[in-house]
Amino acid sequence: MSTSTQSSEKKKEEKPMKLEDILQSDIWNVDEDPHIIVDYNKCGNCKTKPCVYLCPAGCYVLSDNGIVFSYEGCVECGTCRVICPLEAITWNYPKSGKGIFYRFT
Amino acid sequence: MNGLPDLPTKFDVIIVGAGPSGSSAAYLLAKKGFKVLLIERGRGLGDKNLYGGRVYAPPIREVWPQLDKEAPIQRWVTKERISMVQGDKAITFEYKAEKKISFVSYLTQLTQWMSKKAEDAGALFVTEVTIDEIVMKDGKAVGVRSGPDFIEADVVVDAEGVNRLLLERLGIVERLKPDNIALGVKEILKVGANNIESSFNLNPDEGVAWVIMGDITKGLPGGGFIYTNKDSISMGLVLHLKHSIDFIQNGKFDEHVSKLIEEFRFHPYFKPYWKDAIISEYGAHLTIEGATHFMPQKFAYPGLLIVGDAAGLLLSTGYTFRGVDYAVYSGKLAAEAVEFARNNGGFTYENLQIYDKNVRSSFMYNELFKHRGAEQLMNDPILMSKYPSILIKVMEKMFEGEYKQETVYDALMQALKEEKVGPFDLISQAFGLVKSI
Amino acid sequence: MRIIVGMKWVPGTTSVRIDPKTGTLIREGVPSIVNPHDMPAIELALQLKDAYGGEVIALTMSPPPAIRGLEYLIGMGVDRAILVSDRVYAGADTLATSYVLAKAIEKIDKEIGKVDLVVFGQETIDSSTAHIGAQTASWLDWPYIYYAHSAKLIDNNKILVERVLENAIEDWEVDLPAVIATHMKALKPRPVRLLNKIRYKVEKPLTTWTNNELKLDPRCTGLKGSPTIVAKTVDVPEVPRKKVIYTPKDGEDAAKWLIKTLMEDEKASKALIKALKEGGGK
Ligand SMILES: Cc1cc2nc3c(=O)[nH]c(=O)nc-3n(C[C@H](O)[C@H](O)[C@H](O)COP(=O)(O)OP(=O)(O)OC[C@H]3O[C@@H](n4cnc5c(N)ncnc54)[C@H](O)[C@@H]3O)c2cc1C
Ligand code: SF4
Ligand code: SF4
Repeated sequence: MSTSTQSSEKKKEEKPMKLEDILQSDIWNVDEDPHIIVDYNKCGNCKTKPCVYLCPAGCYVLSDNGIVFSYEGCVECGTCRVICPLEAITWNYPKSGKGIFYRFT
Repeated sequence: MNGLPDLPTKFDVIIVGAGPSGSSAAYLLAKKGFKVLLIERGRGLGDKNLYGGRVYAPPIREVWPQLDKEAPIQRWVTKERISMVQGDKAITFEYKAEKKISFVSYLTQLTQWMSKKAEDAGALFVTEVTIDEIVMKDGKAVGVRSGPDFIEADVVVDAEGVNRLLLERLGIVERLKPDNIALGVKEILKVGANNIESSFNLNPDEGVAWVIMGDITKGLPGGGFIYTNKDSISMGLVLHLKHSIDFIQNGKFDEHVSKLIEEFRFHPYFKPYWKDAIISEYGAHLTIEGATHFMPQKFAYPGLLIVGDAAGLLLSTGYTFRGVDYAVYSGKLAAEAVEFARNNGGFTYENLQIYDKNVRSSFMYNELFKHRGAEQLMNDPILMSKYPSILIKVMEKMFEGEYKQETVYDALMQALKEEKVGPFDLISQAFGLVKSI
Repeated sequence: MRIIVGMKWVPGTTSVRIDPKTGTLIREGVPSIVNPHDMPAIELALQLKDAYGGEVIALTMSPPPAIRGLEYLIGMGVDRAILVSDRVYAGADTLATSYVLAKAIEKIDKEIGKVDLVVFGQETIDSSTAHIGAQTASWLDWPYIYYAHSAKLIDNNKILVERVLENAIEDWEVDLPAVIATHMKALKPRPVRLLNKIRYKVEKPLTTWTNNELKLDPRCTGLKGSPTIVAKTVDVPEVPRKKVIYTPKDGEDAAKWLIKTLMEDEKASKALIKALKEGGGK
């Protein structure tokens, strides 16, 4: 059987990728429960919102209604917990070996 | 409790975290005949571990003499490069090393190798379990708790790494602050072995460790790194969190951090090295900046020894990172302390304190204090952006004069003027830098 | 009660990734996981054991790497596990797989002790046939209930199984022994426990059966025993979705926001304009 993968590898023009696309290179076994909980009430009083810029997985998104946090793509670095000026984040590791699964790094 | 009466619920030593530090302690203790429980929250395949890419071998060989032969080593570092970057321009120094002192490896594979060694030596290795608490009784650590389960031990070794939630919960250390923390963001770029050897001009098992300073981080204090694996490149950035927050506050940084690494990936000076590469993995991890401020007050508490990153034992000089070898070495000191206690009448605080003493008299502690100044300098935004740009300007004036060629002296003086740095500042800061790194 | 729970060790789907540059699938180093739809089945089996005592045995027909999955199940509280693994079982379709499983269940029934209940997940994420439960029940000639949400023991020899369907909730009374398949959303699995993991490492409550033990006619197993022919498969990579939560002031606000958001996306806006022009809604 010949593989068709080779021929379908058409090359697109290289340009910087969006974070969502970069994150496709990663693997998670997502926990049923969130391991990080954000107290959105506090976010209203947070001027700089550093989590939006510094969470490397882009889990914090600023929408019209304020911060929206999604735990699914978290890489468990701990940055948000450290930088949050209002201690709005209850942070833990996922349980049962769930979460990010690095293969190289 | 679980209807399982004959299960061991008491161990001599429980080690929390199967990173390099925990694995090394577990391995040595199991080998010395202790009943050891090693607990890791990941699947035990190194899957929660991320770092830059280069490991110094000598301290690790003291624990595993077979390291060079057996460990999953990608390439031995034979070329050291340092680049200063300003815009699209760059100055690069290259040093050709002779000795096999450091190697490039995937941390997932290396920690998997180390923890397997511990298990093979007889440690009970439990994975997929997150420890919630180190349990204290009358001021002494007596075991660990995960969910409803408590397991007892004479000694608990905390090898949980930089986030050290457990030590925080115990009140032994303060809540992690951005001041002494940096964020590392990393990509693995798959390029093929042949490409690496030709583009870096290497023999098959030789590798490159490359540090990048200057505005690769858009003025944020930090730097970039490149390491060559067999058929991929590890590249990434380390950003000091305190300054990053300040920059955001002052409106000097309003992008997402992932954009910085993409810009690095597309930097015209570096891009040719990973032409047509595929991103195999993207990840991030925290690391320590300013270890001497990050350390807990003591390395040994009653019933508790703190090793590796959790103990702040990581040397970051701006051009090298020594975390893995320090972690392994501190695991070794912890194992020796436990053995000392057993041979001297028991696991009393008095006996375990030998660990604290031995860390403080080790090469690690010495080095950390010797390089203390470097961290401050490396994190000085002015220094980190001005000097590379002065140097680049000097080069520009020396080499890019269309008709006129400047002397080195004139070029330097002009560059200093343009960057508004006095020659005396330069000399004193340069002296400070050389002295401390 | 002696309960057997089926498990399949499958490549994690969230892990089927596309190379964003070439659009092709990357499978390097993709880790396997316990089939997520088996989790409610395991949870149900453990809840029944919690309520009525007895033991839960995990069963899988798979190459040896599935031991990691069995370890996970024992971590959750399953008492022991049986791996059925032999070269002659390789390449099996659902018919050949269910045949081997049924034979293994009969062997457990005969040698370990009377089996009261077998629980499977709804389907697997890698093949989604939902055949295994029904076929195994047929081989055993036991009653079969699927889409189970919960179950309880009555009169010591029957179970009451609740099925939650789209527009009805049904309660079925079934004689034991029986086979049930749980609904994929039925129950949230419990986490792995430290003590259970220690027990796994210390006791290794794991048995491997090859065809030397099961003694099945190789013509009925593996590729030879599989009438199914897969004509063609096409990989459809998963598209990662981005979660956005918007709390609207009222219905109008919600509609406005939705349209605004859709219009910001290149593909969505084109489709939307096209639909509006054509006056969709047929
Ligand atoms: C970006 C970056 C670049 C680096 N570059 C280098 C380099 O090039 N060379 C070098 O030598 N070092 C480098 N380091 C540092 C190096 O990675 C660390 O110093 C080293 O990994 C520390 O080892 P450790 O065992 O102390 O902690 P870790 O490696 O962090 O291991 C801790 C382990 O404990 C587990 N754990 C944590 N909490 C719990 C819990 N509650 N229950 C159960 N398990 C738990 C974790 O899952 C983890 O496996 C770098 C670090 C970063 C972030
Ligand atoms: S930094 Fe903390 S308080 Fe501020 S927006 Fe983010 S989570 Fe909320
Ligand atoms: S831990 Fe890291 S990846 Fe996860 S949400 Fe926080 S900053 Fe983002």
